Amino acid sequence: MVQEKIRVDTLVVGGGIAGMQSALDLADQGYQVALVERDPSIGGKMIQLSKVFPTLDCCSCITTPKMSAVAHHENIQLFTYCEIQAIEENDQGFVSNALQKPRYVDVDTCTGCRQCEYACPIDVPHPFDRYLGAHRAAYVPFSTAVPQKALIDMENCILCGKCQRGCPANSIDFTQKEQPFEIESRAIILATGFEITPPDAKKEYGAGQFHNVVDALVMERLLAPTGPYGHVLRPSDGKEPDSIAYVQCAGSRDKTLGVEYCSRVCCMYAIKQAMLISGALPLADITIYYMDIRTFGKGYDQFYQTAQAMGIEFVKGKVARINEDENQNPVVRVEMIDEGSKVVERMHDMVVLSVGMLPCYDPQPIFGVRSAEDGFVLTPSINMAPCVTEHPGIFVSGTAAGPMDIVDSIVLAGAASAEAAAYLEANDGNRRSVKSTTNAARVTAHA
Amino acid sequence: MSEKEWAETLKRLREEHKETVARSQALLKEQQAKRKAIRKALEEGPRTVPEVADLTGFASHDVMWYVMAMKKFGLIEELEMDGEYYRYQLTQEKAK
Amino acid sequence: MPDKETSKLEPSQMKTDTEEPRIGVYTCYCGGNIGFVIDCERVADELGKLPNVVVTRTDMSMCSDVGQTMIEEDIREHGVNRVVIGACAPSLHEQTFRGTVSRAGLNPYFYHHVGIREQDSWVHSHDHEGATKKAIRLMSAGIAKARLLEPLEPIKLSAEKHALVIGGGVAGLRSAWDLSRRGLKVTLVEKSPFLGGHMAQLEKTFPSGEEAGGLLGPLIANVVSDPNITVHTYSEVTGVRGYVGDFHIQITQQSRGVDDTLGEAAMQACKTEVQDEFNYGLTNRKLVYKAYPGCYPSTPAVDWDHCPDGYLELEIDGRQIKLENQPKTFDINTGAVVVATGFQPYTPLKGEYGYLEHPEVLTLPQFIRLLTLIPEGKELQLNGHRVHNIGFVHCVGSRQIEGIHEAQEDGQVNNYCSRVCCTATLQAINELRQRYPDLNIVDIYEDIRTYGRGHEEYYAEASANQVLFMRFHGEEPAEVVRATDGDKSPLLIRVKDYLTWGEEIEVPVDMVVLAVGMMPTSIEDLIRLLKVSPGTDRFLLEVHPKLRPVETAVPGVVLAGTAQGPMNIKESIAAASAAASKVAVLLSRGKVELEPFVAHVDHELCTGSGECVEVCAYEDAISLKPVSMDGKEVEKALVTSANCVGCGVCVSACPNLAIDLQGWTLKQYDAMVDALVMDMSAIGVKHE
Ligand SMILES: Cc1cc2nc3c(=O)[nH]c(=O)nc-3n(C[C@H](O)[C@H](O)[C@H](O)COP(=O)(O)OP(=O)(O)OC[C@H]3O[C@@H](n4cnc5c(N)ncnc54)[C@H](O)[C@@H]3O)c2cc1C
Ligand SMILES: Cc1cc2nc3c(=O)[nH]c(=O)nc-3n(C[C@H](O)[C@H](O)[C@H](O)COP(=O)(O)OP(=O)(O)OC[C@H]3O[C@@H](n4cnc5c(N)ncnc54)[C@H](O)[C@@H]3O)c2cc1C
Ligand code: SF4
Ligand code: SF4
Repeated sequence: MVQEKIRVDTLVVGGGIAGMQSALDLADQGYQVALVERDPSIGGKMIQLSKVFPTLDCCSCITTPKMSAVAHHENIQLFTYCEIQAIEENDQGFVSNALQKPRYVDVDTCTGCRQCEYACPIDVPHPFDRYLGAHRAAYVPFSTAVPQKALIDMENCILCGKCQRGCPANSIDFTQKEQPFEIESRAIILATGFEITPPDAKKEYGAGQFHNVVDALVMERLLAPTGPYGHVLRPSDGKEPDSIAYVQCAGSRDKTLGVEYCSRVCCMYAIKQAMLISGALPLADITIYYMDIRTFGKGYDQFYQTAQAMGIEFVKGKVARINEDENQNPVVRVEMIDEGSKVVERMHDMVVLSVGMLPCYDPQPIFGVRSAEDGFVLTPSINMAPCVTEHPGIFVSGTAAGPMDIVDSIVLAGAASAEAAAYLEANDGNRRSVKSTTNAARVTAHA
Repeated sequence: MSEKEWAETLKRLREEHKETVARSQALLKEQQAKRKAIRKALEEGPRTVPEVADLTGFASHDVMWYVMAMKKFGLIEELEMDGEYYRYQLTQEKAK
Repeated sequence: MPDKETSKLEPSQMKTDTEEPRIGVYTCYCGGNIGFVIDCERVADELGKLPNVVVTRTDMSMCSDVGQTMIEEDIREHGVNRVVIGACAPSLHEQTFRGTVSRAGLNPYFYHHVGIREQDSWVHSHDHEGATKKAIRLMSAGIAKARLLEPLEPIKLSAEKHALVIGGGVAGLRSAWDLSRRGLKVTLVEKSPFLGGHMAQLEKTFPSGEEAGGLLGPLIANVVSDPNITVHTYSEVTGVRGYVGDFHIQITQQSRGVDDTLGEAAMQACKTEVQDEFNYGLTNRKLVYKAYPGCYPSTPAVDWDHCPDGYLELEIDGRQIKLENQPKTFDINTGAVVVATGFQPYTPLKGEYGYLEHPEVLTLPQFIRLLTLIPEGKELQLNGHRVHNIGFVHCVGSRQIEGIHEAQEDGQVNNYCSRVCCTATLQAINELRQRYPDLNIVDIYEDIRTYGRGHEEYYAEASANQVLFMRFHGEEPAEVVRATDGDKSPLLIRVKDYLTWGEEIEVPVDMVVLAVGMMPTSIEDLIRLLKVSPGTDRFLLEVHPKLRPVETAVPGVVLAGTAQGPMNIKESIAAASAAASKVAVLLSRGKVELEPFVAHVDHELCTGSGECVEVCAYEDAISLKPVSMDGKEVEKALVTSANCVGCGVCVSACPNLAIDLQGWTLKQYDAMVDALVMDMSAIGVKHE
């Protein structure tokens, strides 16, 4: 049960890979950490992915052990389905007002057996599967969720009580209420992550109305072994696609959307998905329409070269428009730049939009931390202090500080915990002194 | 909580969440009707999603969603591919 | 300070009963990595028939919380006292599961991991039946070993709360500062006489446009004024002994040659000049020099590399003075090492894009220096010729393709992207455009990779300011050739431009700037001393880009900055801070733990013959020492656990079979081999 007030060294907001890593890096040093995640499970976007570039590790092999480590760490207190509503500052640091949302399930007794989900009569499109699959109104978020506990989606519940009768542990509790509590901390790390470009952003690409024009996160789910279909199939009718196209920069580097920056990950994830699809559907033709291929990370250009050698078609071209034919096949109208900017129309079974990364949370109202023009958290000294926000004691980690991939998020998470640790040390009145006793010249250069 | 107290709590909560409950009940009705129609279409034998769509008159993407949900909860199972489509059958078929 | 001791059970307090083994066998689907190839259910069923196996289970991902909880419950509630897991390679998750086992109160070494992904499903992906059988075999060997497992204790060592940082560029400086702020003591070693690395050679820095000096200066000031940090310039690591927590590092420091009183006069007096590496050879400097105005330390130094005899004779104020290099060597004791040795700009081969053949061809780092040498308002000139047309070429020494680009001395090409050159080039172009509005600028690229926050703006600005872009394909690199006599411009860039039908175009230019990529600083000696490994791209290799992105395979040695791969300043800083975090995790508790898989000598059997000492390749790992046995002093082999890597060479050398590897004993190997060749059908396992 939630205590009314807890005291920690650092509060981490957001339990994606960046927040988890920051929490672990601090907790492993012996600092007390509270991790607050607004969703019912930690894991963030990463746990939705299939395999991850550049190593093509299966994503859950990397993420789930970290999730488990967070849940079991003796120095981390984890609060899921929980939000920070206000903070105050005093000379001790921050007092955050947190709100535990009701799961309507007693997490102490729930075993995550999913009997309630089987008993519940209502199917709800599952956001975890990008709405292609279903969960019931009573459900466990997903198979590797942490905590592995059920909750009830009140928005879609008819209060029939079937889940309660189905639950062998008698854990369903419709009387649960929101529970406010306080978290005192001396530092805060914001790791609130990103959102992808909304499906209706680009009218030219069908504004989300074409079933076979999907975003890349949908494709991640289709490729995941635990995905909604268990195979790569078209959402319109279940056909196994033979021809799949990627449209790069769909939502990035686009003045018309006010998103002028590059989202950094979409070139790589498109290539990754193309490789995974050619593994799953060896006969499928895969085309990537791009302006620049930005495979700049360690080992990434080699990854691109491998994809070219595998026969994935890379076409430098601007996709002006996507239409649908009578069989719901997307038809791509593209200016083929390498062919003298000739405009052609090409039909595919499926088109994947390589959507961009947008900020998902504005910390200004609650945390008093401003965002830059691009909407991501402002770090005034971008080169020398990439995790330091305008607000002393509040740091930023992962994609809350701008688009980046998992490797960069994990590194930045380590950096944010270094900043937070340094801040804690500098602001701890009774810290064990480790200062040197001598003040002799410490720069040696011998003559 | 006794059975009676429980029933009363539910009743009170239904009152409190009137709007969402009403909306969800309507949704449930629609879902039940659609699931029934899909089940009926599959009763005669395994079918692909477009075939079920033809038989039921529902949009094929809608059928896809229902079939996948039913598959997830063990009501439908997937068979081999037929051309470019998988075939699906009711789980009871196997038991028969 | 929350360095609290946790209430976690020590392995010694955990269940270590040596009763009848009750083995739990767990086979992981690994998403589909294993499960799509190997029939995991069959593996579980068959292994369940083996003696001592009391439960077998499968899971989609055993390493998830669900999987781990299942194992914990079996230990707690079903009396499982040996755990065998068939999953990915042990290097990935052995630690994860060791944690699982100990959380359930069982000694963590009552667990054996069998790799059935890298060793089986990935390599036999087209033979499902064969792979399944192999998994049964491999895991039954694991089960055979598990029956003989013994409880072990990790080796606990006290750790120096001190770190050594190698390299005084922005990454090394930042790591040092962060470590000190965290409460550790730091020694920083910089090979050159001055701090700052390549950042000191930059002017404006993308993406903020701030002056590099203005950013670097305060960081250097913080480091050198920090009482917890000791900086040694003109120094190198020349010896490494010891292990994480307790490294003994030998440092060799060159003399500066002059002190503050003599410095300025010596600079004046020195007449010999050499190419100034700070300006990449565009200018000369004296042998007694300061790297740059405002450099740190401000005392000049003598460039001994150009004093072949190790001394320099100068006439100062009429006196003949002999400046001598008397390198000094000293040792330090440290708990961890941060390698921040940085990068070198790629040096094009002679003739590559006309480099060294035509004086009008410069590299981008040279060009950035050139711009600082031309006063504001003065025209752009090179060797006295005014520049009207200038061409930039991207990806020089990066993204190379074998067979198309000429290989370097070691036969390799650089097939990676250097990630900073696109934005650095566009920044230089924009700067140029501002200073010289009439200049014709051509930018020849393959892809423009202005990926970072605030980078795309440079591309947009260049596009909006009459910069002519041309795009080549990687397989068809551009060429730089001398123009025919009488042409206005001395050079031609020949390029197949795919923004205009792939036509071959000749662009007359007065100057060519090559956007050269990054290569790691060559640190062969250091690599050998620290036993770290470079990757195929020659940059230092991390253990795993996602799980342990700044750690090397050597415990206690971490990476910071461009020694690991191309990075810009922000990324170097982030990596440096992350490295500091990892070191803090390692050392802030004042002790480290190592795996107990080391040699162990049975002194009853040891005759002190010393064959083991002969064959052991590691310093101080095994030695003969007098011990008292039955009241007598006798020589016996003794293992220093911290220095033993567990390679097992001594085990094979011992004529008395007195040595065994803890956790990998000869008996355990025998049992595994027996299981691998056993006729399984005899015990009811359907196998062949
Ligand atoms: C289609 C696709 C494929 C990708 N593939 C790869 C790949 O193969 N390899 C790779 O390296 N990268 C890949 N990426 C990028 C990768 O997903 C991100 O780098 C990574 O997930 C970022 O992690 P994060 O923790 O910063 O953010 P997130 O994963 O977004 O996590 C943020 C967390 O914070 C929570 N949160 C947000 N606001 C609040 C709040 N106010 N209070 C409490 N909690 C809050 C969110 O619920 C979420 O759990 C891919 C991205 C996409 C879109
Ligand atoms: C042309 C160009 C322009 C750039 N412009 C920008 C820009 O505008 N913005 C930006 O963000 N980034 C820019 N960068 C990138 C930036 O320069 C690097 O990210 C940064 O300098 C890397 O710092 P570092 O500490 O990793 O390496 P380095 O600066 O190379 O420092 C390494 C240090 O280690 C020392 N060392 C090497 N070997 C040893 C040894 N064995 N023992 C002891 N010491 C040793 C070296 O002497 C050096 O001092 C640019 C790079 C280039 C090439
Ligand atoms: S990473 Fe590639 S697809 Fe994504 S915005 Fe940048 S250039 Fe476009
Ligand atoms: S950053 Fe640009 S110039 Fe540099 S190697 Fe990469 S693509 Fe080429």
